[in-house]
Amino acid sequence: METIQNILAGLFLLGGCFFFATATIGLLRFPDFFTRLHATGKGDTLAVTLCLIGLAIHSGLNVTSVKILLIAVFMFLAQPTSTHAISRAGVRCGLEIWRKKEKEGNP
Amino acid sequence: MIHRGEDIIIRTISRMLIPFIQLYGLYVIMHGHYSPGGGFQGGVILGASLILLLITHGYHDARSRVPERVLTVFSGVGVFIYAGTGFLCLVLMGNFLDYAMLAKILHTDAAHARSLGILSVEIGVGMAVMAVMVSIFLDISTGGVLPGEEEEKQKTAEEA
Amino acid sequence: MQTFFLAVALGICFLVLLVLYRVVYGPGVFNRVAAISAVGTKTLIILLIVGFLYQRVDMFVDISIVYALLNFIGCVAVAKYLEMER
Repeated sequence: METIQNILAGLFLLGGCFFFATATIGLLRFPDFFTRLHATGKGDTLAVTLCLIGLAIHSGLNVTSVKILLIAVFMFLAQPTSTHAISRAGVRCGLEIWRKKEKEGNP
Repeated sequence: MIHRGEDIIIRTISRMLIPFIQLYGLYVIMHGHYSPGGGFQGGVILGASLILLLITHGYHDARSRVPERVLTVFSGVGVFIYAGTGFLCLVLMGNFLDYAMLAKILHTDAAHARSLGILSVEIGVGMAVMAVMVSIFLDISTGGVLPGEEEEKQKTAEEA
Repeated sequence: MQTFFLAVALGICFLVLLVLYRVVYGPGVFNRVAAISAVGTKTLIILLIVGFLYQRVDMFVDISIVYALLNFIGCVAVAKYLEMER
């Protein structure tokens, strides 16, 4: 039973780390502020939820795992809201939107 | 002056989350003896929830929910509880804040009386910290313009 | 299991160092705010894993909840200020 718990927790943690890595690469490589917000807003939220579910499974059937799942619910509600707030501020301040440039030399 | 935000998403989520943040602040105050926390930390969390109310709903809505008189009474009552516990121990022929003397009133042994004395002091500190934090933030956020003056300026601007 | 947790924590620390590039070089204040929010989210997970490594999870869960709260309130406050500054 304990090995099944450990294996499941390890799988969820690895999935969370994969999405963290993807979100970080997106934050570094995307060309514009709004596209970077896509990467960090969605990727980070999913990664945090997966990691917290993995840690709750590892901890067993406790009060502690209920608290960890409460953090997951709070992050699921609060992080998209803060992304929306900062992107709304960006739009109202008039940041320019990146557009794809036409490729030259097309036949 | 912080004006009311026009965004419905942030206002709705804030209204959903603020009671739970306050519940967690009370939990942190009451469990100060066992897990990280205590009076000051719980007071800061309670104050942060009311500051979130001010940021998302604007100055007038927040002021109507937390009037100035209530904040003054809270801070005074908080300090009164702290000093009152100390003076109660003094009256019962001990030192100032010597909680073991409270065992005479509460009819328990000295260890339980010390624990309850510390708990009452933490509650007093939490109330005072919350009230003072929110009061200072509400006073700073007006930007030097009193509420009466701003209405006069709006009326003169409309007349002109 | 301990070494696996340690490896995951070190991996997320390395990702935090990568995000700090965007904090330093992001043109403008908006990129910096988004990157700081991401750093805060990763710090939350590192805190919980360190709690599991020391086998005292009960302490670290309370601190993590408070840090998530303060991250959210800080980001909303800065966004409101930047919107009003215009």
